[in-house]
Amino acid sequence: MFLSNINLGQYVPTGSIIHKLDPRAKLFSLLFIISAVFPAKNFFQLTFWAIALAAVVYASKISWGVLLRSARPIFFLVAFTFGFNLLSAYFTGDVSTSLFRAVFTSLRLVVLMLFAIMLPLTTAPLELADGLNTLLRPLERFGFPANECAMMIGMALRFIPLLMQETDKIIRAQLSRGARLDQGNLFRRVMAFFPVLIPLFIIIFRRADEIATAMEARGYDGGAGRTRRKPLVWKFNDTAAVIISVLAAGSYFVF
Amino acid sequence: MLNVNRKQKNRNKIPFLEVRSVSFSYDEKNTRRTLNSVSFFIDKGERVAILGHNGSGKSTLAKILGGLIEPDEGSCVVEGVSMNEIEFRALRKKIGMVFQDPENQIVAAMVEDDIAFAPENQGLPSNEIQSRVDRAIVEANLLHKKDSPVSALSGGEKQRLALAGALAADVECLILDEPTAMLDPKGRLRIEKVLRALHGEGMTILQITHQIETENFDDFDRVIVLSKGEIIWQGSTLEFWDRAEELGFELPDEFKIKKFFEDKKIKFPDALANFDFNFTAAHDGKKIQKHESKFKIKNLSFKYDEKNFALKNLDAEIFSGQWLSIIGRTGSGKSTLVQHLNALYKIQSGEIFFDGQTLPQKGEEVHTLRQRVGLVFQHPEDQLFSPTVKEELAFAPKNAGFKNSKLEDAILYGLECVGLEKKFLDRNPLALSGGERRLVAIASVLATRPECVVLDEPLAGLDASYQKKILAMLARLRDEGETVITITHDLDTALKFSDKILILRDGGTVREGNPGDVIEEIMNVLEPEAWPDVLRASAEIRKINKNFPFIYDYQEFIKCFSQI
Repeated sequence: MFLSNINLGQYVPTGSIIHKLDPRAKLFSLLFIISAVFPAKNFFQLTFWAIALAAVVYASKISWGVLLRSARPIFFLVAFTFGFNLLSAYFTGDVSTSLFRAVFTSLRLVVLMLFAIMLPLTTAPLELADGLNTLLRPLERFGFPANECAMMIGMALRFIPLLMQETDKIIRAQLSRGARLDQGNLFRRVMAFFPVLIPLFIIIFRRADEIATAMEARGYDGGAGRTRRKPLVWKFNDTAAVIISVLAAGSYFVF
Repeated sequence: MLNVNRKQKNRNKIPFLEVRSVSFSYDEKNTRRTLNSVSFFIDKGERVAILGHNGSGKSTLAKILGGLIEPDEGSCVVEGVSMNEIEFRALRKKIGMVFQDPENQIVAAMVEDDIAFAPENQGLPSNEIQSRVDRAIVEANLLHKKDSPVSALSGGEKQRLALAGALAADVECLILDEPTAMLDPKGRLRIEKVLRALHGEGMTILQITHQIETENFDDFDRVIVLSKGEIIWQGSTLEFWDRAEELGFELPDEFKIKKFFEDKKIKFPDALANFDFNFTAAHDGKKIQKHESKFKIKNLSFKYDEKNFALKNLDAEIFSGQWLSIIGRTGSGKSTLVQHLNALYKIQSGEIFFDGQTLPQKGEEVHTLRQRVGLVFQHPEDQLFSPTVKEELAFAPKNAGFKNSKLEDAILYGLECVGLEKKFLDRNPLALSGGERRLVAIASVLATRPECVVLDEPLAGLDASYQKKILAMLARLRDEGETVITITHDLDTALKFSDKILILRDGGTVREGNPGDVIEEIMNVLEPEAWPDVLRASAEIRKINKNFPFIYDYQEFIKCFSQI
């Protein structure tokens, strides 16, 4: 398998307390958490957030294996960050500080990304679209297509695994025809990917077109006036989750 | 046309859906018409098949009938009201649609959420949405999957989910565009069962298809035949069967058998219980020649993850110059096995010998291997990327290091193999028909003259004429000494065309042998829905008359009754 077992942010239904939270509550909480993790400066703060993450993962009943596998593409970004920081160490000469910074920034990024990825893992795409929709609605006043935008993100998440499978299949087919995807210099490698990218784009456009037609056939016309089978209901747990996140984010300025 | 006029004269009621000289063209200048002055009607509660080969314009017609695209000329009228005067939402409550690929119709991650999509779009209160979902899920026979994520459904279940999604809009009419084309026989049968029940309850059903299949050959009230954008014939299903062959459609064997016994006035199968059959030696197996071993596979196991084996202790031998068909249910390891043969999957445990040598696993040797063992994936036309057919055909030979005249030869050889003319070389693959694209994709693998060619479901989704072309081509390659390996769902072609059959179950070999010798194992491994019609009929007779052999060929089947 080259790609098809990568499932970036695919919904994992476990029916946990986290899954049952209102998507808006999850979005708000994530917003607070992220804005608090970003400015983290020392290992103490980072440990605090790592523990918080562990607690959320535990409550979500999603296994670490599934979480890490789902987040695997992100680790490239982390590796890149790490390498870049090391490189700067090489140029500045201050090895110990830079090494510390490389390790710290990478870890912070890991915590941040894992928090972020918990959102789609615990929220079904359409629900997430609903939540986003309510959050984006104020922007509609300025002509921002909140409905469409939210549905687009939901649909994109829904189709990630399918496109991964397609990509995997195309890579295999081109390798079978003797394509050399992993040889030569950077330019040649990039060029070698055209036989993969072109069919992939054709497939993506075709699918997008078919999906749009199928959605229209089921009466979707931009989402205005849409109701829900399970309307979003703000519950006690949702308030609690947001308050906990705010407190966690705030408490942290105390240290 | 006469037919229509006569019928229309006798009519006084308003049809449910009427199509009035509809024309449509995809290009602006209106030079090539996809649909040309198409007219017909459908009454409420009718089940009508629109038959057409690939490229006949039937999918475009489906979209026009569903009000998803507007015709350039003419109009569609629903219960006396022109479609463009009907409000979008009102129309969506009248006509529901199901398309070919279930994946492209499912919007949600959970079964119930997906079914709810249409009623949600109608702005219904949530309790009513739930009752719509509850009803649709039963109608589509998916109740047992109520709380499942969509990813846990089989292909057939996904298509039934798409059907439920359309039903939940509370529609009066369903338009289905090749709803079973991507499903296995069992999945097809289940969809047909659901449609039959819906039709019984008064649903108007319009089914667009390229072939009337065994599972639904007597379900339609009427048949409309579309060819090159025009209606060339319409009439009752019974009338259709008399004309089917001249209209370019094949009769399912099951239909022929039924008719055979009806003509002979034999009650099938009861009347055959004590019948003494007169056999000419049935399926004596293909002539056995001495062949050398091409692949020898020993104890091959493969796992995608820690838990599940995709292949488990598989042993098999593939002989050169033979055509081997690999059969087995979905998930039996067929695709995983063949992707070992050109080292796309690395051997985890076990051994593979290619021409007596250990199969290379890395480095330049793998590239040479991939030139010698050509692999054609499912729907290979989706992997084309070049601006011209010529460049597409040059891709594999160039990768194999072919240059100048050798390269030219390779391109022409590929083209010749699949029987396309030279004028195709300068054309854009994307502008070709589906069948032609399939041929180009196969040619692009054959261009390097592999000594062994492996094809995964090479006939899937093609018209009968292209299927025949590809089968003839593979037979010719085999006769020229190439080793041909195909994976197929289509037992009928596997039995009739291949020299050897390899039956897989749960990642292991059940049996390997001549088609005539492995029938009983096939019947054990695959469900009756997947058997060829003739085989199913002979099994039926055998139940009450042990003398009757297992036969899969219609002509041979008929011979058994020669003295009646």
